[in-house]
Amino acid sequence: MTDVMASRSAAGPEPKVTPGEDSKGRRTSPTRGQASRRGQLVAWAFLGPFMAAFLLFVIWPLIHGLYLSLTDQSLTGAGGSFIGLENYSEALSDPVMWSSIGNTVWFTLITTVPLVLLALIMALLVNTGLPGQWLWRLSFFMPFLLASTVISQIWVWIFNPQIGAANEILSAIGIEPIAWLQTAHIDLISIAIATIWWTVGFNFLLYLAALQNIPDLQYEAAAVDGAGRWRQLFSITIPQLGPVTGVILVLQMLASLKLFDQAYQMMEGGSSETSRPIVQYIFEAGFVGYRFGYASAISYIFFVLILIVGIFQMVVLRSRKGNS
Amino acid sequence: MIDKRINRRSVLAGGFATAGLAALVGCTPAQGSQTTTLQFWHLLSGGDGITMQGMIDGVNAAHGGFHVRPTVLAWGAPYYTKLAMAGAGGRAPDLAVMHSSRVPGYVPGGLLDPWDLNQLTELGVSESTFTDPVWNSSVVDGELYSVALDAHPFIALYNTEICEEAGVLNSDGQLMRPTNPEDFLEMGREIAGVTGTYGLSYGFIGDGNQMWRLFYTLYCQHGQQMTFPPGGTVEVDGDAFTTVLEFMHQLVDGEVASPRGTIDAAVAEFAAQRTGIHFTGVWELPPMQEAGVPLGATMIPPIFGNEAVYADSHSFVLPHQANPDEQMRRDTYTVVAELLKNSITWAGAGHIPAYLPVTENEDYAELTPQAEYAEAADYLVYDPVAWFTGSGSNFVQQFGQIVGSAITSGSGYDQALEEFRRYVNNLLAQPNPANPQGGRS
Amino acid sequence: MSSTATATRTDDAQVNIAEVDVTKVRRTNRMPGEKPLGLARILAFLALGFIALLWLLPMLWAIVTSFKTETDAASGGLELIGPNGVTTQAYEAILAEGNVYVWALNSLWTSAVITLITVTISALAAYAFSRLDFKGSRWIFLAIIASIIVPPQALIIPLYYQMLTFNMVDTYWGLILPQVVMAPIIFILKKFFDAVPAELEDAARVDGAGRLRVFFSVVLPLSRPILGAVSIFVFIQAWNNFLWPFLIINDTTLMTLPVGLQTVLSAYGIQYSQVMAQAVLAALPLVIVFLFYQRQIVKGVATTGFGGQ
Repeated sequence: MTDVMASRSAAGPEPKVTPGEDSKGRRTSPTRGQASRRGQLVAWAFLGPFMAAFLLFVIWPLIHGLYLSLTDQSLTGAGGSFIGLENYSEALSDPVMWSSIGNTVWFTLITTVPLVLLALIMALLVNTGLPGQWLWRLSFFMPFLLASTVISQIWVWIFNPQIGAANEILSAIGIEPIAWLQTAHIDLISIAIATIWWTVGFNFLLYLAALQNIPDLQYEAAAVDGAGRWRQLFSITIPQLGPVTGVILVLQMLASLKLFDQAYQMMEGGSSETSRPIVQYIFEAGFVGYRFGYASAISYIFFVLILIVGIFQMVVLRSRKGNS
Repeated sequence: MIDKRINRRSVLAGGFATAGLAALVGCTPAQGSQTTTLQFWHLLSGGDGITMQGMIDGVNAAHGGFHVRPTVLAWGAPYYTKLAMAGAGGRAPDLAVMHSSRVPGYVPGGLLDPWDLNQLTELGVSESTFTDPVWNSSVVDGELYSVALDAHPFIALYNTEICEEAGVLNSDGQLMRPTNPEDFLEMGREIAGVTGTYGLSYGFIGDGNQMWRLFYTLYCQHGQQMTFPPGGTVEVDGDAFTTVLEFMHQLVDGEVASPRGTIDAAVAEFAAQRTGIHFTGVWELPPMQEAGVPLGATMIPPIFGNEAVYADSHSFVLPHQANPDEQMRRDTYTVVAELLKNSITWAGAGHIPAYLPVTENEDYAELTPQAEYAEAADYLVYDPVAWFTGSGSNFVQQFGQIVGSAITSGSGYDQALEEFRRYVNNLLAQPNPANPQGGRS
Repeated sequence: MSSTATATRTDDAQVNIAEVDVTKVRRTNRMPGEKPLGLARILAFLALGFIALLWLLPMLWAIVTSFKTETDAASGGLELIGPNGVTTQAYEAILAEGNVYVWALNSLWTSAVITLITVTISALAAYAFSRLDFKGSRWIFLAIIASIIVPPQALIIPLYYQMLTFNMVDTYWGLILPQVVMAPIIFILKKFFDAVPAELEDAARVDGAGRLRVFFSVVLPLSRPILGAVSIFVFIQAWNNFLWPFLIINDTTLMTLPVGLQTVLSAYGIQYSQVMAQAVLAALPLVIVFLFYQRQIVKGVATTGFGGQ
């Protein structure tokens, strides 16, 4: 097999088109009804397993959830009568829902910048080729491998208001200790700090990969032209990190909007007005408040919001790509 | 030409899958055995869990016809959620433990079956075997929905040596019980003088449960309890409310108690004998004894005049079943009666057994320091009856949110009161989510 | 070298995702004429060292705490070694309890099964979208990509209902199956398959092999790097998943590691050094694997993330 491939690439690309297929080997037109039906069957043999799972675990819940949101279904099995859009109107005027969305958005804002900037700085520093590569990679990326419960436990311990390391350090330098997870507004910042520590490693890797792909030639050429280090950074490196920054931003924002695990765990099952993310409110409304119908309605409102953000991002990214 | 790595991985994964399936199959109870299995769900872990397991083992050993199989779930909201969902899904356990305070919220949804008083009386369990507060907390709409195993009040543990040195023990060697706030604070300061740090360990920060326990104790010491009439407005004494908040603020002033005390740090503090008094639940008794603390225990002093002890009960409930097996139900009654009769073991874990024949027995009188607070059973106050109250409920969490900053900052008491009223009235106007239409499902 | 996996450079300047290797940062990455020990490099080294230390500290502090006695841990303070010295009592207490092993094992094999199933069905589906023309292919693919936006938490309630209906609550398969749908993986794999030249498959097809055979004997071997990368990524996601396992499993013996640990946090009687010891033990499996397979894991995650471009 290898010989065939080697001889083929050595001879140069020779597009071999079979009738009924395009240059990529895909069928363009059914040659015979029988072949096309067979093609369909083959296709569905490949697609089948995934589609089964997709329909069962994504589509069905989506539709069922939509239906639930129009009822007053309770977790206990009671309720279930159709109440139209009552859940939605209640949710839209529910101050807790809006504060939860606000918390989530605020969290997204305060984590996105550090998560991008820090990752970039880390990647730039590591990319200079300083000795100890494995140590840098370990330090920055290892947290990403930890489960959310692990990082929550570690940071709850650090943030313990009476005997935690954070307050010990504050006292040592003469600052009044803080109740990190028990004070309004600061609680969300504490969760943000833990999150940044946890997830920056992923962005760091992406930046590192991108930096690796900038050809040396560009730097050498610039050096010949007399451009210094910093000049090179801003006119060669940064611009070429545009695409990967776009990817990181999109992934980052989507992940931040879905905040739940570490917020729930660090607040140890409780929640505060200033730190409850929207997903936790959905969870609380449904699983603690027993109102499945209402929780589903909130889910759908949340889902629509993400959709809007996602579309908005795509539009912005598309136009940015078109311009550059 | 098949990729080697995938091959290896698939073999590995296949091996795991097989192992997992084998484990699953192995987990299935043996077919065709003579004994029936009674599924028993509870939320007792840690030391309590071990004690309960011992009691269950005792019941299983004494009866060959059935076998109680306990499943321990984590304490808190998830427990109640899973219990409700199991009931809704028709997969409810045969027996479960609930906090008494939570039962009223569950009854309207049809999630629980009432206990048959006659069957219980045959087994020696009846109204006369419980104190009034305990019995009343078990009855909903005139029917008995829970059988209390214990009352676990919120009390004051104290270090006898430290307190003696501070001169706050009375002639019987027990902690003095001041009847006004200033005397108590003075007591706290005297103890702090001896320890060099704080006088009292009280974990509260960010913890609605802990705040509510002390708060409601002190509130009820004013002589009345709160009422939450469904569909109406909350009845709360505004003065008492703000006075208690003020006192709690003075308590955590950094001299008497830490202004940032967490529940676990408080436990650690008292266990390391760095403070003299510990406001906590009776369940902390065994760990403290194990830590070697010279221990006394008493009801929280009647600072505002009356004796009141905030408590909840671990109670047995019958999750609703459409067609309960007669024999299994009878067995379940037997299990409950036996656990009650053997609850002297449970007393060892610090709880006050609800079953009077046990507490009136001389064996119980010899338990120290349990005997010191045994009379609390007469002064118990439970959560105001409503579908949204109870241990681990959202209501308690929210309470912490509402009064937390007032306690730490020492201001905003009136605002906290207003917010509390608004919050409770809002809830009172809503139907019980367990039963949105108001009828049985 | 797998030169056969070269992607075509499109106008979008897409990268050869199979050749990305972040572990090969060159040491000679400096300007011509720049001294190896120049001031700039020393400063960079110090900055790097500082940030790395900062990032290692939380884990180090957890380890330090786990080796203290409970009394030492509970008295606060920043000492590395408490007055009572170094002790393994916390680890002994936990390992004696035995649940951590079970949870770790559950996590290990459920994550492995999830990874196997996910990668398999995703590769098959991605191939279909890439190579096979069939009715509705475009629309179905679009629907799958659109589903990336749906947050899983929005589905948990109806999903839980479903599991109740199928009697799969508190079962391993109830835990595993809903987690095998990962739309981004399809997207990445399809992109990869698109870039594989068709000539390679044609040779086999001319010999009379059917689509399935072609897939297994030609395409899959070529896809080793990307499949490996994606598998690593999926495994980590599955391992760390909290919400769904938390909801679906009640039985302590069936719990995965993150969920089992969470029950530790909610039990009363918190003991700090034991909690930290549990955290360290929980972190250990993946960290050890990382230490041995750092290159592959780092490559895998970077490639997958990169492939999302």
